[in-house]
Amino acid sequence: MAATLTAGTPAGPRKLLASRRTRVGILYALPVVVYLLVLFVYPIFTTLFLSLKNADGSLTLHWYADALTGVNLSVLFTTLRISAETALFSLVFGFILANAISRLKPLWAGLAMLVVVVPHFVSALVRTYGWIIMLGDKGLVNESVPGGPYQLLYNELGVVIGTTSMMLPYTVLLLYGVMRGVDRRLLAAAASMGAGRVTIFRRVYLPLVAPGLASAGLLSFILSLGYYITPALMGGPNQTMIATLINQQVTKENQWNGAAAQGVILLLLTFAGLLLVRLVSSLGASRKKRSAS
Amino acid sequence: MMELRKTIAGRIALTAIATVILLFLALPIVVILVTSFSNNAFAAFPPQAWTLNWYKALFADGSKWPAALTLSAFVACLSTLFSLIIGVTAATALTRSELPLRSAVYALVLGPLVIPQIVTALGLFLLFEPAAMLGSPIAIALGHTVLASPIAVLILIATLRGIDERLEDAAASMGAGRLTIARRITFPLAAPGMIAAAIFSFITSFDEFYISQFLSSVDTVTLPVQVYNSLTFDIDPSVTAVSALLTAFAILALGLVALVRWLGSGRQDSLLSVENTTGVATPGGDAV
Repeated sequence: MAATLTAGTPAGPRKLLASRRTRVGILYALPVVVYLLVLFVYPIFTTLFLSLKNADGSLTLHWYADALTGVNLSVLFTTLRISAETALFSLVFGFILANAISRLKPLWAGLAMLVVVVPHFVSALVRTYGWIIMLGDKGLVNESVPGGPYQLLYNELGVVIGTTSMMLPYTVLLLYGVMRGVDRRLLAAAASMGAGRVTIFRRVYLPLVAPGLASAGLLSFILSLGYYITPALMGGPNQTMIATLINQQVTKENQWNGAAAQGVILLLLTFAGLLLVRLVSSLGASRKKRSAS
Repeated sequence: MMELRKTIAGRIALTAIATVILLFLALPIVVILVTSFSNNAFAAFPPQAWTLNWYKALFADGSKWPAALTLSAFVACLSTLFSLIIGVTAATALTRSELPLRSAVYALVLGPLVIPQIVTALGLFLLFEPAAMLGSPIAIALGHTVLASPIAVLILIATLRGIDERLEDAAASMGAGRLTIARRITFPLAAPGMIAAAIFSFITSFDEFYISQFLSSVDTVTLPVQVYNSLTFDIDPSVTAVSALLTAFAILALGLVALVRWLGSGRQDSLLSVENTTGVATPGGDAV
């Protein structure tokens, strides 16, 4: 709204001011730029170089070969599998919950969103501990479900339950925003043309929220890739993920080069995921434009 | 009629499933809060008998918790200070100036939020290890600021965008200097956003685990790392009490943010309403 006003002012003084405003901008941007270049960008490049170096300093791809064979490769596959399972479940649960909340009256919707947002700000360690107490042999679930005790911890089931609950707030918040943005008149229009509820859902609603669904799923997938608090505490040896491996290699084995290679692989997977998110959202934007015209 | 009944049944089913999913999110926290008062901190739930022993044990001789809490609080205060300095300057540059390479700066700010934290932690380890700074609270705080400052920048950008620049222009037209404008107009209006940014920076640092774990030493263990260690190596039942306190702290902090936002929301409106009564047109004023 400031733009509409400044557009009306004469161009002359604005131009004179521009150089000062530019100088102020550069000066004020310096702290964040310097800080992140030194403590974020430079360390990541250090990691990259370290992953390509031998002990004697010569270049090598040895650490990548090592990261992509044997036990390390199976850790990579485990990471991808657990992340995919987590993304799938948080997407399905997130869709149902966000859809239900988007139909509620403002007061109830606000209360429900509180239940989504508050856990998100409680330490992941604390929530994981809560799950460990709940899913244990004498925990709430095994005490209230007959036929047990069921093995709900230290296996993949436990890990997926735990990580899904960590990722769910992200998907709910994202999908809720998308669903609130859906023009309800389109659904009413489809109904007035005689479309049944299932048809409206399948032919109108789903295509409108599809790009949001894809980004939400990809986001929880990406976030799960580098996550290990819950998998390390609720999983067994078969649920070791890349991040756990990086931690072990640095703290226990002093194997920095190997850890660096794992880190770069994780980084590349993340970038691939983010690229897909961009692709999906640009596809969604062009579709919206087309249907509007 | 058939159609209507199906809709109602569908609605009830959807509400029931949604409630179960909400429980899925909330129950772990409720369980922690209840268990921290339970006689038997590890096995049975719901508890058979109640006790405050786990809270008392936090401060017993030889307990590592007070040291971890002090360290985390100190690190979080430092990190909040750094984040606020970076946040205020960066947000000013991104909203109130003509910045070359603006989108590159923006991308840099978003970087730490999208890169896996374990990768950032590894990079910081490789930076601080040769400098012999592992275990230094300053190093941990510097590391946490990498994650906390982008959040502060984003909150403050939203805050500054929400402040009507015409108020600043008006003050300038009345002859106010830039310092006066910053002190009398921008700062009071931005204060709620700054408090929110500070609280979120504090929580981010206080809860941070990956960087802390990589940069900590035997003597400097932050609270989350201590919680993790207690859950994996030495089983210390007072971890339930710590967890409950951390939960209460998070809820309190969120409540505080909400309160500050609510108190702050009235200010600009009252300034603008003066404008409205004097008959000055407010283009897009309804969007405020």
